[in-house]
Parts: sequence; structure tokens; C-alpha cells
Amino acid sequence: MMIRQPQNESRRIMIANRGEIASRVAKACRELGHTPIGLWTDNEPEATHLQFCDEWVHLEGASNAETYLNPEKILKIAKENNVHAIHPGYGFLSENADFARTLEANGITFIGPNTEAIRVMGDKAISKRLANEAGVPTVPGTDTAVPTVEEAVRISNDIGYPVLLKAVAGGGGRGMRACESEADVRANFEAVGRESLAAFNNGDLLVEKLILNPRHVEVQILADKKGNIFHFFERECSVQRRHQKIIEEAPSPFIGNDEAVRQDLCETAVKLAKAVDYDSAGTVEFIMAEDKSFYFLEMNTRIQVEHPITEEITGMDLIVCMIQSALGDELGIPSQEFITRTGHAIECRICAEDPITMLPAPGLVTGFETNFPQGTRFDHCMYKGLEVTPDFDPMVGKLVCKGIVRDVALRKMRAALDGLFIEGLKTNKPLLKEILKEEKFCEGDYSTSYIKEIAPQDKVDTSFNHHRFYTVLAGVEARRMGI
Amino acid sequence: MRTYLIDDEGKEIIVDLTRSKVHDYNLVEFDYQTLEDNKQTNKETMWVKKVSGQYFVSNDQKNWAKIPRQDLPSRMINVNTTYSIFRGFKPSGLAGADEGELLTKMPGKIVKIIAEVGQEVKKGETLIILEAMKMENEIKSGLDGVVKAIHVSEGDALEQNVLMMEVEAK
Repeated sequence: MMIRQPQNESRRIMIANRGEIASRVAKACRELGHTPIGLWTDNEPEATHLQFCDEWVHLEGASNAETYLNPEKILKIAKENNVHAIHPGYGFLSENADFARTLEANGITFIGPNTEAIRVMGDKAISKRLANEAGVPTVPGTDTAVPTVEEAVRISNDIGYPVLLKAVAGGGGRGMRACESEADVRANFEAVGRESLAAFNNGDLLVEKLILNPRHVEVQILADKKGNIFHFFERECSVQRRHQKIIEEAPSPFIGNDEAVRQDLCETAVKLAKAVDYDSAGTVEFIMAEDKSFYFLEMNTRIQVEHPITEEITGMDLIVCMIQSALGDELGIPSQEFITRTGHAIECRICAEDPITMLPAPGLVTGFETNFPQGTRFDHCMYKGLEVTPDFDPMVGKLVCKGIVRDVALRKMRAALDGLFIEGLKTNKPLLKEILKEEKFCEGDYSTSYIKEIAPQDKVDTSFNHHRFYTVLAGVEARRMGI
Repeated sequence: MRTYLIDDEGKEIIVDLTRSKVHDYNLVEFDYQTLEDNKQTNKETMWVKKVSGQYFVSNDQKNWAKIPRQDLPSRMINVNTTYSIFRGFKPSGLAGADEGELLTKMPGKIVKIIAEVGQEVKKGETLIILEAMKMENEIKSGLDGVVKAIHVSEGDALEQNVLMMEVEAK
């Protein structure tokens, strides 16, 4: 029997985001026949995502707080422009339950889960309690905010070091700090609180036990408004710096051929999603110990940066499904068995940062060109002349390669990195190249402390490369001469 | 044509274009060399060819590597070092920052100033916390000494290369 896909009516969808994800959402909107409406701000009048949108609207203001983080302004513009739905992308207002509720009250669809699910999962303490009730294992520690340093020290002494200090409202690895001793807890408590207060407007902190050599494994979930919840297998995102992922892969090389663990993990994720009546695309993050036992970490109630690798191995378009689900259209997925996976996909995040210190390095892109192997996907917001400013996240692109097995994906990724030319901007490309030829990584044997333990940044060759400079100068000279 | 590459610390590399020859409307040849301690090193002949609107470069006219199309950039990156580019002239007044001068390496906002004027500090001690690109960066002292002057206050939004604090060696 041929499986047909449903038709949907055309609507006006505003994208309350920028950069790479805004382009990605705009493309999905156009595919479904919706009208994507892009936003541009005073500090980014030539935003890359606008070229994929059918309409552009000016969002006044030059700082994130005045623009993409300002629910009132976005709502006002949405009403003025007769918008049916808003896609928040990731970051910014994507996990803001108040924003979603305000939109709902004004008759605009928030493309994401119901507000209750965002609220519950956005609070680490509540989500942990709910997971425990649903029979999903969690990491030992507090599930309510710790008010004082003394209290934090007492709890840490109880559960044993090392411990992790993290923000109640945190996400994306921000507002988190590992502490090895009592002195560390005392030293970091204030700083983490301040960082999370600035980033999430909530300075409450949690304390929990740190699992040694953990693997970061997550399950992609997709649900519709009718109560169907599907999983799209797992991703492994263990290569991290500052608790932020830089390389992700699907399926997990750690789980490998262990289908029983995979099945258990994915079903546990679905169980948790059912417990909050989840109804959109989301990710359940787990921490996996060395014995492949896993603990629930958090649920991201939004589309994630690394969704392309799941799309590559399953052949499904998650953003399209997310839009269909939010607007009440049919997903066109008859059953869980319909979703299958083939091959192995790897994603490298290309960031404007120093490859050795891994600190953000804003700058001007003076040259950009690609020469990729067949089938490479590069979701990016780059062009020659782009000014990467410190206002936004340093990630400028996501390089995704797929192969029939992991080695092929790695091979393609190495070739793709060689064929990615970004001039005038410090990027983490030299670091990614080192990691991709490092033995432990190639064997798939790594944990979340990979960067700290193996220190691939120390292997990056920083000697002056004469040939490279001659190449750039010769290219410039040739252009000046008019060839 | 001489090109000066000067890094953040004021170290310079001189690259000379010693010969250029146009072979065809889409093919040119350049000879490059680097001047180090008055010695000519790393001589290379580069061929540049334009094929279907894109630029390719080669040392031997057999292996061609694609290069990004660009105008003369004001800076170039070698892995983790940023070089300012100057063609034909050497700029003056580009001295490297003194170790005791804390400059902003990138635009950002001052979150917290930890040290006070007159306070004794050790090398590697955190003096200022600067927030940039959603991250808190610890600005550390480059030497053992005494804080001489603080030029900024908490909450200030700063551009690149702004003097934040001066530390005097003991």
C-alpha cells in the first residue's frame, strides 16, 4: 500500500529567531506552502535568513533584550502582520512558557509543545520529580532550589564529591559548574547564580552528583496533538566543551549494536513524554554511565541544534513535522515502525572561536567558499562580508555528513572540513580536524570529559603556514589584476 | 610588493611578491618569499587560475586547490593567531600591549571588578569578569604586582582593545 501524505492549508508563519535555524524553518514553511515571515533588527539589517523568507518585518532595537527576547514586541508585530503562528527556533523565547501562553491568549499558535509541558520541563526540579513519578531514573541530588551556600555545601557533603551546581532554569550547558571539593562549591556558587540570573532571569541553583565518565545520549521525540508520540532514535553528544556540544552523532557509537539498551532508552523517553502529554518535537536528554545504565537529565521542549543528524538517519524532516503538529495537521506517520534508521550521521558545529582556548572570537568573514564531498549538508548563516558580532551565539554553521557506517561518515567529514574555507574569522575548524583523526574518537570511545582528558586542542599545529598565506595573497593579487 | 603581517603582540612577518607574470586571461604566476632576519626563506611559485568563476591555486600546475574569493583582507588568521595586513607600508605605533595592561580582547560587558586600586595581585589571579557572547570570561593579571588604576566600572559595555586596568610590577 502506498502511504500518502496529507494536504494542508496555507498560513502565515513568523520566525522569531535568526541565523541558521531561521533559514532552516523558512525552508520548511515554504515546502508546506506557508508564508515564512522573517524578522530583522537594527544590529543585523542584512540577516542571512531573510533571503529564504517571503516577507520581512523590522523588529526595532539593537540588543537581544529589546528584540528576540522581547515577547511584547514580537506579539505586537505578529498581530500587526496578521500572523497565524510563530516558530521560535531554539534559544531566545523557544522555552518561555509565558510567551507561549500570551500567544495562545491572542489566538496565535506557538509552534512548540503545550505551555504546561514547557513549564514543567523548563524547571529542572519539577521535571526531575515528574520523572521519578513516571518511573524514569534520575541522578541523585536535590530537586528543589538550594537557597544558600551553606545548604549547598551540606548537600554536597551528603551525596559526595564531585558535585554539579546548575541553574534551575538553565539549558544548553549554560549556568552549570562542576565542583571537586567544598572549596569549589563556595567559590562558584555566587558566579553560577549570577550567570543564570543574567541568562534566564532566575538565579536559583540545584546540586547533584556528578557521574564519572558519563556519555551524553538523547532521544528525539515527535508528538502530535492527538496523543501519538513517536521516538526518532538516539543521538550521542558527548564531545563537549564548557558543557556545550561541538560534535554530535547518531546513532550512538557507545550503544552500538546493543538493540536492547536502545529500545529501553527510547521507550523510557516516550514514557516521559507521555507523562507530560507532550505534543511537539522535543528531546529527552540522558546521561549514560559506563555500565549503560542511564539517568534522565532534562527535556528540551524545542527543536535542537543537532536535529539534522536524526533527519539524516531517518529521512524525516523534523521541522516540517513540528509545524504540521502545532497547526493540527496530519503528521503522515502511520506508526512507530514507519520510522526506521539507516547509516550513521555526524554533525560538527562550526563556531567563531579560538581553536585552542575555545573562547568566542567575533570578526568579519572576508572569504567563504565550500568544496564538499557528495551528500554533505551545511546549515549555515555565512556569506563573504558577514560580521560575526558578540551579540549572538558564536555558532555560524553546522556541517553534517552521513555514511553507511561510522567510518564512512568520518571520512566524509574530514574531506568536508578540508573543503570548508572561511577567511578572516577564527573558527574551531583546526580543532575539529584534530578530533576527527584522534584515535579514541575514531573508535567511538569517549565521554563528556573528552576535551578535558584527551586535550585535542594541544595537538593543533599553530606554526606559521607560509603556503597558506601565499595562497590567500596570490588569490587576492590575481583578483586585483582582473583575472 | 611587500606585505607586512603583524600579530597582536607586535611580531611581524614580511612576505614579498618578487615576480608576477600573466600567462593568459585566466592564468597568472607569482613568486613569493618570506623575509626573516634579513634572510629570504620559503620561496614558492604560485599559479592562480580562474575556472568557472572560481579561483584555484597550484604550485606545479597539476594539483589545483580551490581558494575562497576575497578582496584584500585587513586581517588574516593562522589557526589561533590574528595578523593585521599592511600592503607596501609598515605602520607605526603598533606596539604590543604591556603585560600589566589589561585590554579587552573582544567587545563585551564588565560584570564584576574583583580587584581594587592599590591591591596586591599575583600572576594569573582573576581581576575582572567580562561577559561576551553569552559567556563570562575571567580576565587575569599578567604579572605579580599592584593594581595602579582601574579605568572602567561594572556594567560598562566596551569595544575591543579598551584599557580596563593597569597593574604595576613590584
